[in-house]
Amino acid sequence: MANTVIGSSIVIDGEISGDEDLVIQGTVKGKISLKESLFVDSSGVVEADIETQNVEVSGKVTGNINASDKVELKSDCRVIGDIKAPRILIADGASFKGNVDMDVKER
Amino acid sequence: MAQSEQTGIIGKGITIRGNLTGGGDLVIEGRVEGQISLKNHLTIERSGHVEAEIRAEELTINGEASGNIDATSMVSITSSAKVAGDIKAPRVVIEDGAVFNGTIEMDVKLPDNI
Repeated sequence: MANTVIGSSIVIDGEISGDEDLVIQGTVKGKISLKESLFVDSSGVVEADIETQNVEVSGKVTGNINASDKVELKSDCRVIGDIKAPRILIADGASFKGNVDMDVKER
Repeated sequence: MAQSEQTGIIGKGITIRGNLTGGGDLVIEGRVEGQISLKNHLTIERSGHVEAEIRAEELTINGEASGNIDATSMVSITSSAKVAGDIKAPRVVIEDGAVFNGTIEMDVKLPDNI
């Protein structure tokens, strides 16, 4: 039970930072910066700029996402904002509006 | 206790700055700075560090808390806790070994003849 869960009835207005996985089932407004993975569950609502390693969205996100590894938009999610990550997956059924920057580098 | 609403957990590696409001129970193992207002039970674990104005129904502190506390039911400060701030609650329990600095207002109804 190491990871953090923001339950469906919780509302956070401010800044979340940390170095472990975070599951959001509630509402977060502000800014999220993590060194690990962020999961926005289907009941989760995020109005924040996100900076993490991995993001998996099943709920609603409004804000820019900057991931150092991967962003996954599951079906039924709603995402508005720009995404910047080396790997981006969008599932069938997902709704997304914004810019995608995969930052392709010469490797 | 009825687990009608989702419990939230703020893990050890997480820091939150700002306002936190909610209806369910919440367990804090990490760090929270700002304001917390919760309808149900808040638990601050041993590893938890809270610098916030806290409003909740019931509050259990095993870790560190500084800031004013306003509980509608009960505040319990266990032996491993370090608390600084003013507490307002109908019931306050402080265990042996706990460190507490501040005032306590239990909102006691005084008999009319005093």
